[in-house]
Amino acid sequence: MNLQTLKIYAKVWLRLTALQFQQQVANARAAAAFLIFGKVFRFVTAFIFLFVIVSQAKVLAGYNLAQAVFVLALFNWGSSLTQLFFRGVYQFKQKVEDGTFDFYLLSPISELFYSLFSYTDPLDAMLMVPYTVVLGWAWVNTGYPVTAVGIIVLMLSLVAMALFVFSVHVFILGIGVKYLEVDNTIMLYHDLERMAAYPIDIYGKYISPFLTYIIPFAVLATIPAKIIFGQINPMMLLIFVSLSLCETYLALRFWRYSLKDYTSASS
Amino acid sequence: MKKYFSIFTITLQEYFTYRLNFVMWRVRQIFVFLIPFFIWRAILGSGGAIYGYNFPAIMTYLFGTTILNSMVMGSRTADLGWMINSGYLTIPLMKPLSVFRFLMTRDAADKLFNLIFIMVEVPLLILIFHPPVFLQANFSFILLSIFSTILAIFIYFFINVLFGALAFWSRDIWAPRFLLMVVMSFATGSMFPLDMLPKVWQTVLLATPFPYLLYVPLKLYLGQDPTIVAAFAIQIFWTVALFIATKYVWGRGMRVYEAEGR
Repeated sequence: MNLQTLKIYAKVWLRLTALQFQQQVANARAAAAFLIFGKVFRFVTAFIFLFVIVSQAKVLAGYNLAQAVFVLALFNWGSSLTQLFFRGVYQFKQKVEDGTFDFYLLSPISELFYSLFSYTDPLDAMLMVPYTVVLGWAWVNTGYPVTAVGIIVLMLSLVAMALFVFSVHVFILGIGVKYLEVDNTIMLYHDLERMAAYPIDIYGKYISPFLTYIIPFAVLATIPAKIIFGQINPMMLLIFVSLSLCETYLALRFWRYSLKDYTSASS
Repeated sequence: MKKYFSIFTITLQEYFTYRLNFVMWRVRQIFVFLIPFFIWRAILGSGGAIYGYNFPAIMTYLFGTTILNSMVMGSRTADLGWMINSGYLTIPLMKPLSVFRFLMTRDAADKLFNLIFIMVEVPLLILIFHPPVFLQANFSFILLSIFSTILAIFIYFFINVLFGALAFWSRDIWAPRFLLMVVMSFATGSMFPLDMLPKVWQTVLLATPFPYLLYVPLKLYLGQDPTIVAAFAIQIFWTVALFIATKYVWGRGMRVYEAEGR
């Protein structure tokens, strides 16, 4: 992919996002307000849960309250920022059912790009401001200094997170092409992802390595947090970036394999 | 009665249309349980208690919410909004059956289906993780809890109909529903027992219908809180109040229903 092609894709994405925003402002202002309030409420109650239990127990699998709060804030920040771009997965079933996906296949733009990136929600982007503030506050609260190295670690983690989240979404789209119904697969992904909101160490000697090295949800919060707390070597991040690249490769292979089965039966 | 039985069996058959989706749904139920299980095990697994809950008590609460969730909150009425917006509601309206009974029959099928699978999944989880679970021996607490669960099923049904009925006036029903789900995941006590919150918060939450869906039936089963019987009276009030509100809103909605899309 050369620079010119990248520019074209960036232009298409900006246009699609602007259209999405216009549609929300014109047709669904109340819905947008409900959605934002719902997300803020979910964000706050997750912290309340953590605060209620860890403030009494004092420690969660070796993490004190401030550290556990930082893991949760980091998870929320990373998960929201990466998923922000992949909202198309929620509309995909409808697109296959009503035949819109056929138009994606006919378009000169990649059908995967259209399927995944065409529903970026600008309201989610607005929520990133308070999420980032909370992350900063939680970081300072842990007592570990906010250094340039720490911020670089966070940015590198974000690359691994984005690649991993991208691969999962591509895999879900592949399932959508092959089996049509993906609602519960998306929800299962969210349930698994929610496991990463707390230090992965709590899941025991079998599930914890699985969530770290096989399906690396740990990269969403626990791994970058451990690097910042000085518990593991920052070079470990390279392993997770490589792992995420492998998962991306496999997901893209699965996507191409799924497309071979597509029969355009519903259009 | 025969026609409702047909609706019941058709609803059950629908679950097997998309088999992979069905498998994912059941796997989800296990993961939904695992997250709080591991958190509580990390905190209380080695002994001690917080807010009066030791590990067996919290495990009983967790298993209780898992089973009650499948019975109370397993529902097909959540798609009522879509039925109204797409005009699909016209089909049951034109048939010689009551729409409410039609919706309740589908709900009953969903609950039975959920219950059958949860009765397989819960023993499986007990077998794998060996969590200590408290079994209530006092029959009056069990009876109160069963009665409270039945009321909870009705409360959830009425809440679903009320939120679905919003579609009579608006096409944007997904967002209010999302908000409802988020609020319920906290206020029903499915995240953690509500008596872990400060007293003021408990009072505010107990004034809403949500804790009566999971928290109150479970506390009645555990028989821990002597004032919980008063909460049972409030549950009856909410059931009646929501029934009246549902009848009223549904009646108003039917006046503006235009079967758009059909």
